[in-house]
Amino acid sequence: MSQGEVILEARDLVKDFAGFLAVNHASFKVKRGTIHALIGPNGAGKTTLFNLLTKFLTPTQGQILFKGEDITALPPAEVARRGLVRSFQISAVFPHLSVLDNVRVALQRQRGGSFDFWRSRKVLEVYHDRAMQLIADVGLTQYANQPAVSLAYGRKRALELATTLALEPELMLLDEPMAGMAHEDIERIQELIRTASKGRTVLMVEHNLNVVASLSDTITVLTRGQILTEGDYKTVSANADVQQAYMGVGHG
Amino acid sequence: MTEIFGVPTQALFGQLLLGLINGSFYALLSLGLAVIFGMLNIINFTHGAQYMMGAFGAYLVGQYFGIGYWPSLIVAPLLVGLTGVIIERTMLKRLYHLDHLYGLLFTFGVALIIQGYFRYYYGSSGLPYPIPPSLAGGTRLTLFDQPIMFLPWYRAWVIFFSLAICITTWYLIERTSLGAKLRAATENPTIVRTFGVNVPLLITLTYGAGVGLAGLAGVLAAPIYQVSPLMGADLINVVFAVVVIGGMGSILGSVVTGFVLGLIEGLTKVFYPEASTTVVFVIMAIVLLVRPAGLFGKAATTTTGVESTSVGSGLDGGRVLNVVMAAMAVVLMAAPFVVYPQFLMKALCIAMFALSVNLLLGYAGLLSFGHAMFLGSAGYVSAHAAKVWGLTPELAILAGTATAAAMGVVVGAIAIRRQGIYFAMTTLAFAQMVYFLALQVPFTHGEDGIQAVPRGKMFGFIDLNNQLSMYYVVLAIFMFALLMVHRIIHSPFGEVLKSIRENEARAISLGYKTDRYKLMAFVLSTTICGLGGATKAIVFQLASLTDVTSGTSGEAVLMTLVGGLGTLLGPIVGAFVITGMETYLAEWGQWVTVIQGVVFVVCVMAFRRGLVGEIAYRTGKPL
Ligand SMILES: Nc1ncnc2c1ncn2[C@@H]1O[C@H](COP(=O)(O)OP(=O)(O)OP(=O)(O)O)[C@@H](O)[C@H]1O
Ligand SMILES: [Mg+2]
Repeated sequence: MSQGEVILEARDLVKDFAGFLAVNHASFKVKRGTIHALIGPNGAGKTTLFNLLTKFLTPTQGQILFKGEDITALPPAEVARRGLVRSFQISAVFPHLSVLDNVRVALQRQRGGSFDFWRSRKVLEVYHDRAMQLIADVGLTQYANQPAVSLAYGRKRALELATTLALEPELMLLDEPMAGMAHEDIERIQELIRTASKGRTVLMVEHNLNVVASLSDTITVLTRGQILTEGDYKTVSANADVQQAYMGVGHG
Repeated sequence: MTEIFGVPTQALFGQLLLGLINGSFYALLSLGLAVIFGMLNIINFTHGAQYMMGAFGAYLVGQYFGIGYWPSLIVAPLLVGLTGVIIERTMLKRLYHLDHLYGLLFTFGVALIIQGYFRYYYGSSGLPYPIPPSLAGGTRLTLFDQPIMFLPWYRAWVIFFSLAICITTWYLIERTSLGAKLRAATENPTIVRTFGVNVPLLITLTYGAGVGLAGLAGVLAAPIYQVSPLMGADLINVVFAVVVIGGMGSILGSVVTGFVLGLIEGLTKVFYPEASTTVVFVIMAIVLLVRPAGLFGKAATTTTGVESTSVGSGLDGGRVLNVVMAAMAVVLMAAPFVVYPQFLMKALCIAMFALSVNLLLGYAGLLSFGHAMFLGSAGYVSAHAAKVWGLTPELAILAGTATAAAMGVVVGAIAIRRQGIYFAMTTLAFAQMVYFLALQVPFTHGEDGIQAVPRGKMFGFIDLNNQLSMYYVVLAIFMFALLMVHRIIHSPFGEVLKSIRENEARAISLGYKTDRYKLMAFVLSTTICGLGGATKAIVFQLASLTDVTSGTSGEAVLMTLVGGLGTLLGPIVGAFVITGMETYLAEWGQWVTVIQGVVFVVCVMAFRRGLVGEIAYRTGKPL
């Protein structure tokens, strides 16, 4: 389990939307223990790639290996159970559940299946302290009993992160975790991702290049469904193709 | 006389012609539904009523203004389309920002109003409408000098004209710039708006056109079938199955499926007449197993961004609810000394039915529009067990309940593969299949139902022929069902269920196999539903066809809506209100249906929290 070992590998992934190749023969590897950024202009196929890796979409072609095992044929819930957990680009919370319930329903996954409809939910009280801890980590303590729908956008993103962390995933896929956040929140979440990445691997899509520069060990650049280049921030930002493809579209 | 496969050619071609005629109406109606669905994402449940209005339109302009068939063919659809435009402008458009299920419920309510109103004025018997003189008579068709059939001109015209309309509509939408605009507006309304296209107007016109198509089908049908208030209600249930088979929203799919299924039905009438009413539903079940999205439907490629039904609240509380439940139990114990016990027992059985529908809709976000199949089937089995097998009442009720549970496993496993409206349509279509089966299999006794079911002695010593004993047994069963639902929604399982209702994609990404949770919820729901139906059959000593009709399924949804979706007590209050209306306003006849429709529409438009939901919201206590 040493650092540097490959935890996730995509081999020649293709997603064909009725003739349009949103992901076009993409292959890349994510190394354990790193923070790996996936960048690229709007419509490059980043979210689609995430959907493929977590099996929310079925690849038209190609293979996905997680911890050396082929997960290409698994259903999305099974992928999550093996430790590959994603967040969504558009905030995904349970709107009419309280912040606390949002996190607890994730912690509840430790029980395995929760098909026990005959038991009182009081058995879930054991997760209370851990849930409050996670909520405190993302700075939402004072909102714990409010319904998630009432939170400001940035706070919903923070809640989503807390929910994802509740699963203790080995590999976390974050789709634009900072989008729509206020400046001070960005710093907190950046710190949180850095802390959370201890002992796990993070693959994230992010448009904020400052965040990418300061957080990530490796950067993969995707344009029009294809992998353009890969390397650390210095190498990638010096690449003329990247500057043209990425900056040319008008991202800052 | 010549024969093909041992069948006289005359009979064969006669049935094929009939099949094509039916197919023409299936195609026209499902085409209208597809046009509306494509643009508004709403299943127009008023479609059958609007078809009926088309036929009545032709009849009425003929009666009052002496306007004949040909002008009616234009006037009546325009009038019906106009009513559609008015409905869309004044009400339907206010629902677009909500979950699409509300649109479905709204149009269902409007259908009740229209059908009830027409039944009040015209009864349910049919009115004749003459074939236009220019199309009277027909011709004898021959093949190699053999007579094969007599073809009435009017029927030939219906087939020809329906085909022409279907092809024209398909061409307009798939091949012209207007159609391109429509499709673009469906996919990306904001962008199309910035191009200067008036999207709301486009939506209104689309709805008007879709409704107009239903009206047109009605005029075409008037000379063939009799003009009657329920002509649409009967037909539309088959059309919904056609839509499920073809795949929703596909123009070509709905047309082809419509004609083909009409033909298959015709052929079945020749070779295996017993199955002719159910064959469409059997095909539906097979198609759903193999291709859940329907033959021409696009497979659901993505599960991200699933909408949550923003109904009910899941925040904790509990103590107030317990007190209210205890108080309710006490009141119900005293109630038979004040209120007619027969009414109370009916309301309690129906309340179990509503509880089961709400368990799915309010807590799992699944709208079942076919729950009557479980209520009715459980009733049939329970009645049969008590009367024919001579089982004791507790065993009869158990048998009925188990039947509903088993059916729940099968129907649920197929239905939960689709979401939202698709789920609702699938359950509805299965319920229709069960309805037609109940009409045909011998043990249900068709229209008569199973009558004179003995109540017997419960556990060998409680004589249920004593009205009060019966009442307390029903109350005990009801309290058991209520406590069961209470426990389910406050269990670890219930927590997962609520998260699925709120955001299924997120629940999956947390590692929950949501299909299994939904199936479990579905079976729990049908079990409770079956308990209600089985008990009802013993109480009323009757299992009847009414309990398996789609109207009964709709009523359960109405009760849930009136009382408050996603509240524990709402469905019970709703059941008492609606059952009370039916019992005490019975002499008002069809007006009760109209009032129910109005209640439906008002609830969807302006009172979505429902009675109990409103109280829960105001006091901040979950009820
Ligand atoms: N379900 C789908 N059907 C058809 N096309 C799709 C579908 N999902 C995505 N696309 C197309 O695939 C391309 C890639 O989309 P994707 O959302 O993956 O981009 P992205 O890199 O995440 O962009 P952004 O930075 O805006 O989030 C886009 O052109 C999009 O229109
Ligand atoms: Mg994206």
